[in-house]
Amino acid sequence: MAETPVAVSGGWAPLAAGLLGTLAVAAALFDGALAGRAAGARSRMGRPVGEVARLLRQRRRTTVAADRLLWRIGGAGLLGMALMIVTVVPLGRWTLFDLAVGVVWVNALDVLAWAFVWLTGWGANSAYAMVGGYRFLAHGLAYELPLMFALVAPAVAASSLRVGEVAAAQQGLWFVVWMPVAFVVYCLGVVAMAVWGPFSPAVGRDVAGGVTAELSGVDRLLFLAGRYALLAAGAAFAVPMFLGGGSGPLLPAWAWVLVKATALLAGLVWLRRRMPALRPDLFMEVGWLVLLPAVLLQDLLVAVIVIGG
Amino acid sequence: MLTHLVFWGLAVVAVLTGIAVFVVNSMARASYSLALSFIAVGLQVLLLQQLYVGVLVILMMVMEMTVMAVYMNMFMGMNPAMVSMNMVHGARHALPVSVGVFLLLAAGALFAPWPSRRGSPPADVTAALGTELMGPKMLTMAVVGVVMAATIVSGVVLAAHRTRYDRLGDDLRRPRAADPQPGGVGR
Amino acid sequence: MGVSGALARLALRHAHLLVIEVPGNWLTRVTVERLAAVRGWRLAVSPADADILAVCGSPGPELAPVVARLWEQLPGPRARIDVTRPDLAAAALDQAEAALRDTPRQRRDSIARDGRGPDDAPDGDTALAHGSEDRDGLEMDVLHVRLGPVLPDWPAGLVLRAHLHGDLIAEAQAAVVDAGHGPAGGVQVGGEPSGEVRPADAAELAAQRCDNAARLLALVGWRDMTQQARVVRDRLLAGERSAAITELARLRRRVRRSWLLHWSLRRVGPLPPDELARLGLAPELTGDVWDRLNGMLDRAALAAGGPAAVAVGTPVGVAAGVPVTPPAAVASVVSGWDLATARLIVASLDIAALGVVTDG
Repeated sequence: MAETPVAVSGGWAPLAAGLLGTLAVAAALFDGALAGRAAGARSRMGRPVGEVARLLRQRRRTTVAADRLLWRIGGAGLLGMALMIVTVVPLGRWTLFDLAVGVVWVNALDVLAWAFVWLTGWGANSAYAMVGGYRFLAHGLAYELPLMFALVAPAVAASSLRVGEVAAAQQGLWFVVWMPVAFVVYCLGVVAMAVWGPFSPAVGRDVAGGVTAELSGVDRLLFLAGRYALLAAGAAFAVPMFLGGGSGPLLPAWAWVLVKATALLAGLVWLRRRMPALRPDLFMEVGWLVLLPAVLLQDLLVAVIVIGG
Repeated sequence: MLTHLVFWGLAVVAVLTGIAVFVVNSMARASYSLALSFIAVGLQVLLLQQLYVGVLVILMMVMEMTVMAVYMNMFMGMNPAMVSMNMVHGARHALPVSVGVFLLLAAGALFAPWPSRRGSPPADVTAALGTELMGPKMLTMAVVGVVMAATIVSGVVLAAHRTRYDRLGDDLRRPRAADPQPGGVGR
Repeated sequence: MGVSGALARLALRHAHLLVIEVPGNWLTRVTVERLAAVRGWRLAVSPADADILAVCGSPGPELAPVVARLWEQLPGPRARIDVTRPDLAAAALDQAEAALRDTPRQRRDSIARDGRGPDDAPDGDTALAHGSEDRDGLEMDVLHVRLGPVLPDWPAGLVLRAHLHGDLIAEAQAAVVDAGHGPAGGVQVGGEPSGEVRPADAAELAAQRCDNAARLLALVGWRDMTQQARVVRDRLLAGERSAAITELARLRRRVRRSWLLHWSLRRVGPLPPDELARLGLAPELTGDVWDRLNGMLDRAALAAGGPAAVAVGTPVGVAAGVPVTPPAAVASVVSGWDLATARLIVASLDIAALGVVTDG
């Protein structure tokens, strides 16, 4: 797979959305299975199915003096964001949107999570939801800059912001091998963006569900689906950036992309139950004093290698 | 043709959401109207084939407006930001002035004798635009960016109520800083 | 009808229930939680998240209106059950399931609620907040928030009136709902003049420590260990002592070895012995939240009669009572911390029962 992917017509967009949906559903099923096993409950895999049925049956609700427009935009926004991210992820030989600045495009989209999560917390006019929204921004201040600089490393190594060219530049050696710090920081960023696992204080039990405290019915379903979809989109984008794109033996390139994305996604889902939360007040210092210098050093190292080699 | 339609559509969206900033009655809505206006402008820049600049406009403005909404809500005195409030001050003077400036600039854009295109756009329009704007001052501009960031950090440090002497003792020898709440890296 | 019936069947496999514990009905709450988990149901974090409102015990005059208000906030389909004794829990859950399954009934309920606003409409504009200085000397707006009496993983009946700067608790006043209203009041049934609560037996004492540890672990967001602590709790109450002791040992090991948990909880809410004495808290709560979590698990192991009991040299099965926690002390220890940390500190106090004395 030395050549860069070709853009296909927009008519294929539903297929890309379907693939993202499948990945997100798979993630939800896997998470349900893990949760069911831990709880020793009767039904395991069916958990997300039941959850969806429950939320479809549930009434939507609103609160006193809610800013309903912004609230609904925030709740549905995460899903849209995930869909926009996968448009630049090449599936083997094909890509939907062969943007020359694809890496910056994803970066611009991940910042939208700030807006959407905060708006979901703000719109409900509820103290706990609001605290949740601010917690997300506190996490955001700590993870966003390291995440941006983590995306710089592969782009510098490939001398391109085009996602397909970054993937093609990893012939022989995947970027994850020689820029592990950037990869780890990127994964942290994805987990944080999806308000997932260690980055879930924004939806924490201690604030009655935080951002989601007042969501019910289809609104809650959209927000939850958006979180899974973001996690899936983040895992998919890691494939061309760090995991060698479609390269691999035997299987066709598109299959390798899916296999790698699924594997990384499974890892991120598994992480959720295994770790305590990284509280924003503690993680803030880690982000600025540990992650940011570490990833800047990584960038420097990559730049030196690229110029020297 | 389609590109032209989209461009003009985005222009209308940008102006209308820009007006909405002053019409809506909450800080959050005003901030996000402005963000939407900037996104429309960013998309227009994308249509002009300035891909990097366009995407960057969207990125920076969404982040900026998110932070602005937060600051507005946090630091407005007596917190009227949380309840519905009027977004306009001194409308009697401000309105004619801003309408006048808008018309002046729009007239300038419409009636200026724009040169017709000679040759074709370069392969990398972003680099060409950067060179055109800054020319040999590129290094200076890069340094200015760092200096500005350093200024912001120093400003915050100087403005902070608690100094390092409060945290680490008069001789700065305290092994662990005395903070109201511990930080994450064990200081 | 076919579609909505199938939807209802699927939905019922994963109902969420909001459990409200009336002080003194600890065992009932735990039984409801256990039976719900067996059905594959989950604990809701807020009324918006809940299908079932499970009230454990008989709410007094102060708690009853709170329950009614929460009931109004359930989106519906919804069911309310009142469980007064542990042995009635299974039947009550069946009843809730039947009520949720009854689509026509839910539809009538939904129609009856239509047209009514979420709560009362606000009268005029919301009042402006007043400001005061926060801990860094900045002028900040103050928000008054009542924490409790119904919050996930929160001591039964506790109400903290918190003055918040952002999410920082500047100060707080504590109270217990229905303090001094009959047997359902602030002091747990079995409270003794010595100022201690004596649970029925050592297993119950151990189970309660595990339950409190599970709450703390849930608040730090460690799902697997939360589950594990609840399993140990249920085993202890079911009389499966040896299995419980083995699993408790594993739980303690994993908690102790987690550097991430240590990093998260160390130096949070430190309480020196003299401070504890002044506040009327038990001396074994010395240290920070990390120390207190491990202490809680140690005491559970001690009461359960595991290896720790042998190591410390206490005769197996002899368990001391648990001190009653004065609410004012809770209010005092959370002041100056942010909401998340304050929740951790409250959970770390290993509260068995709250005293009736409130501060003014």
